[in-house]
Amino acid sequence: MRYALQRFTQFLIVFFLVTFGVMVFMRIGLNKPGDPARTMLGGTVSQDLIDTTTRRFHLDSNYLVQYWYWLKGMLTLDFGYSNPNNLNVTTYLKPRVLTTVFLGLYSIFFALLVAVPVAVYQAYKRDRPFDKLSSFATFFFISVPAVVLAPLLKYIFIDWLAWFPRLSSKVYPWDNPMLHIKNFFVPVLVLTIPLAATWIRLLRADMVQTLQSDFITLASAKGVPPSRVLWGHALRNSVFSLVTSVGFQLGGLVGGALIVEAYFNMKGMGSLLVVAILSSDLFTVQSVSAILVACVVLVNLGVDLSYALIDPRIRHARALS
Amino acid sequence: MSATPPSATAGGKTTAKPKRSRKIPGIGVMFAVAWLLALTICTLFASYLPFIRSYDTQIKVNGKTGRYNLGPGWTTWMGTDSSAHDVFARSIHGAKITLMIGVLATVMGLVLGAILGVLAGYFGGWVDRTVSIIVDCLLALPALLLALLLVYRMDDLKSVYTWLGWLDRKWEITLTLGVLATAPLARIVRAQTMGLREREFVLAARSLGAKGGRVILREILPNLIPAMVTVAITGLGILIAAEGALAFLGLGVERPLTWGKMIIDGRADLKRAWWATVFPSVFLFLTVVSFNLLGDRLARRFDIREAAI
Amino acid sequence: MTNVIQAANRDVNGPLLELTDVKTHFRTRRGLVRAVDGVSLTLERGKALGIVGESGSGKTILSRSIMGLLPTKGTERHGSIRFEQQEIGNLGRKQMRHIWGKEMAMIFQDPMTSLNPLMKIGKQIAEPLRIHLGMDKATAWATAERLLQDVRIPEGARRLHQYPHELSGGMRQRVMIAIAMACGPTMLFADEPTTALDVTVQAQILDLLNDQRKDRNMSLILVTHDLGVVAGHTDEIAVMYGGKLVEKAPTRALFADMKMPYTEALMQSIPKIDDPSHTRLMAIGGRPPDLVNPPQGCRFAPRCLYTRDKCLTEEPPLVATDNPEHTYACWYPVGSPEYHESKARLSETPVTIGRLD
Repeated sequence: MRYALQRFTQFLIVFFLVTFGVMVFMRIGLNKPGDPARTMLGGTVSQDLIDTTTRRFHLDSNYLVQYWYWLKGMLTLDFGYSNPNNLNVTTYLKPRVLTTVFLGLYSIFFALLVAVPVAVYQAYKRDRPFDKLSSFATFFFISVPAVVLAPLLKYIFIDWLAWFPRLSSKVYPWDNPMLHIKNFFVPVLVLTIPLAATWIRLLRADMVQTLQSDFITLASAKGVPPSRVLWGHALRNSVFSLVTSVGFQLGGLVGGALIVEAYFNMKGMGSLLVVAILSSDLFTVQSVSAILVACVVLVNLGVDLSYALIDPRIRHARALS
Repeated sequence: MSATPPSATAGGKTTAKPKRSRKIPGIGVMFAVAWLLALTICTLFASYLPFIRSYDTQIKVNGKTGRYNLGPGWTTWMGTDSSAHDVFARSIHGAKITLMIGVLATVMGLVLGAILGVLAGYFGGWVDRTVSIIVDCLLALPALLLALLLVYRMDDLKSVYTWLGWLDRKWEITLTLGVLATAPLARIVRAQTMGLREREFVLAARSLGAKGGRVILREILPNLIPAMVTVAITGLGILIAAEGALAFLGLGVERPLTWGKMIIDGRADLKRAWWATVFPSVFLFLTVVSFNLLGDRLARRFDIREAAI
Repeated sequence: MTNVIQAANRDVNGPLLELTDVKTHFRTRRGLVRAVDGVSLTLERGKALGIVGESGSGKTILSRSIMGLLPTKGTERHGSIRFEQQEIGNLGRKQMRHIWGKEMAMIFQDPMTSLNPLMKIGKQIAEPLRIHLGMDKATAWATAERLLQDVRIPEGARRLHQYPHELSGGMRQRVMIAIAMACGPTMLFADEPTTALDVTVQAQILDLLNDQRKDRNMSLILVTHDLGVVAGHTDEIAVMYGGKLVEKAPTRALFADMKMPYTEALMQSIPKIDDPSHTRLMAIGGRPPDLVNPPQGCRFAPRCLYTRDKCLTEEPPLVATDNPEHTYACWYPVGSPEYHESKARLSETPVTIGRLD
């Protein structure tokens, strides 16, 4: 319990530091009175509007005060005001969150669906043709940068084979499931391939090591069938790196599908933040990055706690601390 | 074996040393080294090598320049781009910037990461907690977003603070990627230092009265080098890919064009002139693969887990 | 589930295990490693056999060959292994699986690493019961609790719900024995079962193994480097060197009248109670033979104190002493005139015995 509390405080500190850092970093250099408001509003605007905006968002007070007001807003789910969109950030965020969540969850789900069986089978048939061949393939796929893979797959599936529509306008599964799948297929594939390849390598390495343990030989010597030795004994002992990596990617994918979102014109959190940064949309940058940081931090916390779920030794060591 | 009577030594075959099987590096590693070496030589001596045109040479077909006026062939091995420049020559010139950014950023990450990691791992306690908070902060935002934020704001700040005038795009990206490389390196250095701290030779040095600084410089740092080099090489591949991604998002180096930018520029005309996109993609891919292959080989050689990266 | 060992075939009178010229070779980069190179022996039902030798003598590989627990890739197996009158030497892992844990079980050296750290003790004991005997969970766990009682672990009901790291080394080895006993095997292999344990616990574990063997009329193969371990706990001892059997005898006969200088050297390397204090223990000089290119002649010759030219050229066959159950492979065994002559010569020219290189 003390352990969880300690971790939690550390994560809180990280959250405050990063969000405050982002805010300050977005505003340093805007030194003259009215600068922040002018930047935020963009273009030529009347002095009057600048003054009201400055007053409304306390843009002339010091950073700590500004941070306080922003944080207070965040707690009441008021994420601030975005001028380029001329909307409250909260309003236009929702559909974007959904797009990103679909992208992230699909790709992680399918990557795991592929990675775990392949890695387990590779480790089982170590150094046999399947292992060698698929190891080579994973190495290949790990090394394809997103900027190469996205155009490649788009060309193959959308332009050449024309299996999927060209424009990925967002369609929710509850509106039109078929179109939803068609829209998400290629972008998810671009994300899934390197993820799956990374995880296959990670899990295979750990599985190979675990399979050499004495307790695996003992399990076989008990007459436990190979499938049970692999899935019941070896896998659970080999998932720590995988869990860590899945957590890391889960946290990252919330805002990390930048290239894919940009390339396939999907309106998600990542592309939103890119536009916000490039147009000095102060509140959007602050609020969206705060959400991303919160996700990363929470996922990390979850990963940390899941170690204890998997391994009783960690559980007991923590209970004692 | 002094106990064996004289007659026995004649047949003393038992102690024949097992032949050490020198493992020749795999095809992959040889390819990686060859590719990186060729690329480096070409970029370093680009202006002296006769087969590499200058960055600004435009190819004329029938006396005229034109968009994609030449496909891959004998004159231009990889065709010409939208402004009639030799794609091969531009890829080589672009490699210079890409490699330079990657290497400098890695060096920066190595230095910062080593300092943070060693301090955290060696001293523990509040130093460790502080470092781990710094590292967590650096990892709290998705890397590409953090990079975008840093590069974009540095662009802005340059116009406000004149002393930042030297910061061109190249340096902005280098600094940014250096910051990105710091966190993972700090993590692995910390873990390794914690292991080394308890090893006999370090304990011996400490019990002999060696001061912290001396122990770190003389005993710990040299032993960190294999891990650091391994992670740095793998990281180089990632950083080069990240540079491509930044270019894709519009924050690339404009002159000379880097691979990422070339891929993006040509993508709209993929059907008409595939070569303008495909060849820079191949360059980018092969370079990332090479660094990954080398990193993988080193990781196996020094028994360093990929998980830490 | 196909029962490979047909109950009808069981001949309660015949030997339980019969090995004829068993060879286990590994293909490696360096060449063919002859880890086990032609071993023949028989084991009667309910008896205990000790297999003794240094590390690298092939004793562990032999026991794993019998069980078929070696990796299939790169392994060559020759000769015949008959268990319950049935050839099992040629069975694959798939068929052996029905024998493992049920007919044959094995106890490993290191109890710290041989139990699954993430699985409750109870589940680990119940696993073979559920697989081989088809028990439901409740019955299997109840049986597991009784098994813990059998191996003298107190508070079994509570222990079942603990994880390996909560138990001491000795406790864990008892759990391993309980797992091995679970389905009532007729054949138990114990590979250095006490090496990783505290001295105080070693005797308890050996006694426990012996009691269990007698209670269940089970045969035991005890693999160890320590003649002291097998002395009080086996009926027969087989000494292995360089992948070959070099001496085999009923325990009593072996200790009374060992023939092979290697056995003698092993004997002299363990401390004895009636030795005066500060007696130098003798180590065996040199190192185990290279099993890719084993020495010509007797494999022990290059390290033997009594080697003669014949030993270096001709391989000694296994021959019997007056006691037909006592066999050995040596041209000039302990007690022969040549042995005494060499020994006399050795005591004249003092040499430093036992320098390990």
